[in-house]
Order: sequence, then structure tokens, then C-alpha cells
Amino acid sequence: MSHSEMSRAKRHLETTRKMKDMLPRFFMRMMERRFSNEPLAWCMVGVPPELLKAFDLLFEWPENFGTMCASRLVAPRFIEVAEGDGYSPELCSYVTNTMGYCKLFKETGEAPEESPLPGGMGTPAMLLGSGFICEPRWKWFQSVATRFFDVPVYSSDPLAPPWDIDPHDPRIEEHYLTLLREDLAGQIEFLEKETGKKLDLNLLREILALSHKALGYWRDTLALRKAVPTPMGSTDYFHAIIPQMYLVGDQEAVDFYREMYEEVKDRVERGVGIVDEEKYRLIWFGLPPWFNMGIFNYLESFGAVFAYESTYNVGDHFEVDLTDPLEAIVRRTWQRAVKMHDYGAEAMPELCNPAVFGGFVGSSLLEELVDDFNLNGAVMHLTRSCRAVSFGEVHTKNRLAKAGIPSLIFESDMADPRLWSDAQIKTRLHALLETIDRAKEGGKINDL
Amino acid sequence: MIFNDKPAEALIKPTGINEEEIRRIKTESGKPVIGYLCCFAPPEIISAAGAIPYRITGEPGGDTSSADAYTEPYGCTYVRNILARAIDGKLDFLDGLIISHSCDMVQRLYGIWTYYHPLPYSYLFNVPHQVTPWAQRFYKRELGFFRESLEKFTGRSVSDEKLRNEIVLQNKNRAIIRALYDLRKESPPRLEGSEMLKLLMAGGTQPSGSFNRLLHEKEAFYAARKPGSGKKPRIMIWGSIMDDPALFEIIEEAGGTIVADDTCIGFRVWEKDVPETADPYDGLTEHYFVNFQCPRTDRGPGVKRFNYLLERAREYSVDGVVGYCISFCDPHKFDYPDLRDYLKKEGLPLLLIDDNYSFEPAEAIKTRLQAFLEML
Ligand code: SF4
Ligand code: SF4
Repeated sequence: MSHSEMSRAKRHLETTRKMKDMLPRFFMRMMERRFSNEPLAWCMVGVPPELLKAFDLLFEWPENFGTMCASRLVAPRFIEVAEGDGYSPELCSYVTNTMGYCKLFKETGEAPEESPLPGGMGTPAMLLGSGFICEPRWKWFQSVATRFFDVPVYSSDPLAPPWDIDPHDPRIEEHYLTLLREDLAGQIEFLEKETGKKLDLNLLREILALSHKALGYWRDTLALRKAVPTPMGSTDYFHAIIPQMYLVGDQEAVDFYREMYEEVKDRVERGVGIVDEEKYRLIWFGLPPWFNMGIFNYLESFGAVFAYESTYNVGDHFEVDLTDPLEAIVRRTWQRAVKMHDYGAEAMPELCNPAVFGGFVGSSLLEELVDDFNLNGAVMHLTRSCRAVSFGEVHTKNRLAKAGIPSLIFESDMADPRLWSDAQIKTRLHALLETIDRAKEGGKINDL
Repeated sequence: MIFNDKPAEALIKPTGINEEEIRRIKTESGKPVIGYLCCFAPPEIISAAGAIPYRITGEPGGDTSSADAYTEPYGCTYVRNILARAIDGKLDFLDGLIISHSCDMVQRLYGIWTYYHPLPYSYLFNVPHQVTPWAQRFYKRELGFFRESLEKFTGRSVSDEKLRNEIVLQNKNRAIIRALYDLRKESPPRLEGSEMLKLLMAGGTQPSGSFNRLLHEKEAFYAARKPGSGKKPRIMIWGSIMDDPALFEIIEEAGGTIVADDTCIGFRVWEKDVPETADPYDGLTEHYFVNFQCPRTDRGPGVKRFNYLLERAREYSVDGVVGYCISFCDPHKFDYPDLRDYLKKEGLPLLLIDDNYSFEPAEAIKTRLQAFLEML
């Protein structure tokens, strides 16, 4: 791997390009509050951001920090420190990135100078975890609090039913809803204790209303990508998820996603794609290689675009009754799990999606997407250190092969560029495009 | 010394032979055999439902290539090994499969296995990741759903009385196992770690009654065995599943003696009785969930989560700990640095063996172990 092979992504939408102003403004506001010693929570995807807003709590996402370290190519520095501390290179590189960062922070008492944000992630006053998706997320904050910051931890545990259990059975539904309700109550009790504030349900309701509005625009934007040529590609997609973590529940996020929707809609109406000649319409599986997002633009230069991504895909947005905002959060989680479940979830990890992320493609959803989005190929990123998201890709490949859709699984990592082999990956991507060409002419799909 | 009477040898059979044995038991009893991987779903309920619980184990070093058509290469090699065996038809004696949501890998094994190779009965037993009151309530409700699913499959109802009887029976086995572990507090112990492990493995693949007879016989044998002499470093094993005595034997050959363990199949399952509570499901919740010391369950931050290990080390006068981690085993690999530092502070050295579930190359592992043992 040479760093010169890595390139940053070129975005196509005006709206996502504007994030370059919007996000720094947001981070500055956060910094000012941090400097006045307001308590800061480190959080995980799976913690409802609306709840954090309702407590007016400062928060940071080590996962997202991992993506930033990756895109600035500083993750290997932190990961190597963690490896020196005994963390296996097989472990999730977002976690090892955090562990290395924390170790350096503790040694010097300040954020390592390589940190992407001024002041890095700040010093946490509490850790709010979620076991949604994977095992490493259970161990992550447990170890941060054991080794580096001795602060209180709350981890939520949104379990979902396995693929062969009927979630529509009212007894099963109650079994899971009870857990979700009680777990959310535990989370709120923790937040009330740690912040010394009482949860304002009216405020939470308003925040949820704004957040659902923003997510509604996001869902509608994603649906617009069915158009041929597709008006939006992966580089815009993966960047546009960031406001969902930091700004959801604010009017600013509603405005952002509305503008994005309008821009994408306008492109559809004018028939503007993201490449001159759209030759290949693809679906992306797995986490992106944050250190080399330019790979998407590289594919675009051969007329290959992604119209759908399986990860971070809010996908379906549910209209939930906000009268009781807590029940609304619980129902949202549950409905999403049921929906994913109905699509076939045999190879899926934890299904629940209490917040805004998630998105694993159910097996029958695959067939639907292939038709709706006119897809003719799939690229799957097998991330060595995140098995949670990449497990099931072989199964997905099997299902796609049945539908006559060629696919490629290539190996690398989401944060650790040391696992990227540029020439080999590009050769394989080209082989996929050739196979798609042949498949279009009715030829055989080779095993890639 | 290494005992050369090798009494457990006869009952310690390579995986394949255990499979022959279970086929025989199945034919003779006419009962369905239900395989399980992990103890969160209590085997007592399986027995009470009129089926034979069978703890599925892997074949370390075995060929996993048949798993490649269904799963990714990056995954726990033990899980891939089991999937490959299922695909190759080596587990075709199973009428049912129960997988607990213990770690990520095992949970996903369930989906892939049952999708591509459906069995007449299968159940994924869902388990919360922490032991809050609501998590305990969920677990107890899950026990109920699990029981119902078994009843539906076997057509036999699981009365509380039947379940209690099964708990009592297995508690008797637990008492003997504890007595055998007590023999290992001696110096040198009269019973090697590898012998104990083989015995426990035999227990996972036969009904509780016949296991009881076996335990009685072996207890008498070991109690009568002449104690050995000489001092050897006393080792505790911690880590991923240990379902093959190979590593234990390497340690013993290298001059150590294994006196305690904290692994699946080991003492974890047997150390305490299942409390015989008025509502048997309360006792099962306490034993198999609240007290079950598996690192996949979050017991909060801080090193107090390892206290039980230190207590065990003291109880068995342990000199050093050998950690064993299978490739891609998240729960154990994440705990390793915390545990290493904690034990170090307490004066207990820890040697980590990273392995791809093959115990190979044995010579290299042995050399590292010898160096470690010499240091103790
Ligand atoms: S889902 Fe993957 S990337 Fe995210 S925390 Fe889990 S292992 Fe890491
Ligand atoms: S060895 Fe580790 S990863 Fe494999 S099944 Fe056991 S706990 Fe899970």
C-alpha cells in the first residue's frame, strides 16, 4: 500500500459540497461548548440522537471519528498503538483506532496532534453504547472505561427476533417490545442521573418531528436514485449521512435534506446523471474504504455508478405516532426490525435499528431492488476487521447469482489502508465490469 | 509426572467416535437428538422435552473448505469448522439444532446453516448482552418460548416436575465434577487437566443418566489413584472454546499441569448447581444467564468483572495463566489486554496463544509454552 494510491472523493451534488461549510460551523459550536466544560458523551450508532438533543447533551461518535481518521490516513497510527497494547489486528479498526487514540490522549493529557478535529474527541463524561449490530460494540466502551476514562457507561441492547421467528405473532411482539421499552427507560434514567436534567417529553416530541421530517426527505431522495441515469452516487451518499448523526432533530438538518431532495429531483427531471454515459448500475455492500473514497470516482470514470448502498441506509421511514414520543422511538425500532425481517434476514446480524442507521439487505429485498433500481452488478467490500457488516456477503452473492446478477467480493478494510491492494482490487473491479458486459449479452457469469 | 494409566482414554474419543456413539444411543432410545453449541439454552429443558441434547464440537485442524460456498473466510475458525462438518453430512444424525445468541459468529452460523441445510427442528435462543433486571426478564420469557418450541417438536410436554428432575440429575453430576476439580487442588494433582476435559466432553454427548454412571466410575478411579510427586507449574486456561485436549496435552508434555480453567465446556457449565427454585425457570435464569461467566455478556467496565478468575486462581494455587484465542474471536480478544494487565497487577503472568483452531504448529506452541513454564 502506498498512500499515493489513496484518493479523496469527488462529490457531485451542490448540497453535499456545501457540507464543507456547514459541518465546520457545527463543530465550532460544539467546541465552544466543550471549552466551557459542558459534559460530553461519547456515543454509538444505535443511541437515538433525538434523545441526546432532548437532553441538550454534547456528543461525539467514536465510529465517525474512526471514519475521519481513516479518510485522513491517520488511523494506522492509532491502530498501531492499540496493536502494541495487545489488541489483535483482527479486531474492528474503528475500535482499535479509538483505543490507540485514547492511549495517546492519556499519555499526553491532550488529543494527539494527528487528530482530525481540533481537540480530537474531547474528554468523555459518560459513554453511551449500543449493542445494536455487533459484538465489538459491547466490548468497546467497556474497555474504554476500564483502561482510559473511568466514567459511567450505559449500553442499550435492542435485540430483534431471528429470521425464522414470526414477529407478527402478538406474543413475540410483546416479548421484544417489553425489552425495548424497559431498555429505553434504563437509558433515560441513566441520562437523567448523569446530566441532572429531567427529560422534557414535549421537547423530545418536537425533535422527533423534525428528525422524521429530515429522514423523510432522505428516504425520498434515495428513491429518486431509481431514475436512469441515476442522479446521485456513492460519494454523495456516504457523505450525506453525517448530518444524520450530528444534526438530526435540528431545523438545519431538515433544510439540508430538503435541499438535497430538491437538487436530486431537479437532476432527475433534467436527466442529469453523474457520469456522461451510464454503462453499469451497481449496488454496494459493506462499509466503504473511508481512506480511499476516490475508488467510487475511479469506477465512475468507466461508466459504473452505484444506485444503492446496503449500509447506513435508512431506507424505509416509518410514520409513527408521536403522541407518546418514547413509544414512538420503541415502535420505530420495532417496525424497522419487522420490515427487515419480512424481507428475509437469514444471514443478517442484529436487525434492530433504533436510531437512523442500519441497513442490511434482506434476501427478498435484493430481488426487489434489482428490478426497481435496474441494477446489473454488485460490489461487496469484505472488511477484514468488521465481520459484522461483511458477514453474509457470500450468501448475498449466491442469491444474486440466482437472479443472474454478477457480483464481486473484494477484501480490504473500512479504516485501515494497510489492507488495501490497489492494483489487485482494480483488476478485479475491471473483471466485474467485463462480466456484466457479457451477462448483458446473455453470456455466462464467471465466478469472480 | 504424566500419568500413564490413562484411564480416561477409553471415554475420550475423537469427535467421529462420539458421533458413532450418539447414533447408537439415538437408535436404541428412539429419541430425537438435538445439537447445541452453547449453554445459554439449557440442555435440561431439551432432556425434559424427551430429546437428547448433544453438544456439537468441531474438529480442530479439520478441512473447512466446504464452508467457503456459504460464508466468508474471515470468521471464527471453530464456527466455520462446524458449518463445514454440517455441510459434509457429518452431523446428519441431528434432528434439531439450537444455537444461542452468544457471540456474533455463532448467531450468524444459525442463519446460514438453517437456510441452506434446514433441519426438522431449529431454534435460535436469543440472549441479552447484560444482566439488568429487564434482560433477566427477557431471558426468562425466552426460556418459555424455547420450551414451547421443543414441546411442539417432540410432542411431549415439559412439566415443571420433569424439568426439576432433570435439574436434580444434572446437579448430581455437577457435585461429582466439583469433587474431581477438588482433586486438582492437590500438588501435584491426581487428575490431569486433559483427563478432566475429556471427561467433560464426554458429558456433552450423552444423556445425563449415563454421564452420571461414567462420573461415578471415574471419581472412584481418580480418588484411588496414587498421588504423583514433584512440583510442576500450576496453570489455569482462559479463553475461547476448548473442545479438544490437544493444547492441554502440549502443556502437560511441556512440563506444566492444568489445575483450573475458564472456557466453554470447562468448569463454567458445572461449577455451581442450578438453584432448585420453586419456579425452575428462575433457577435456570440464575445459572445459565446471570452467573454464567462468558465474556460476551457485558458486566460493566472495570476489572471487577475478572474477580471470579482471580479467586479461582487463588483457590487452585495457580502459578500462571495460558490464554487461548481462536482467530476472529471478538469476545476474548477484546478482553485480553484488560485481563492481562489485571492479572499482571496481581502477580499472575498470562501467555496468549493465538490459534486458528488447529493447535498447529504444535512444536512452535510447545516452545513458547516451555519458555513460559520455565519463567514461572
Ligand atoms: S459494525 Fe463493524 S465497524 Fe461497526 S463497530 Fe461493529 S465491527 Fe466495528
Ligand atoms: S471461539 Fe469466540 S468467536 Fe468462536 S464461537 Fe466461541 S466465542 Fe464465538
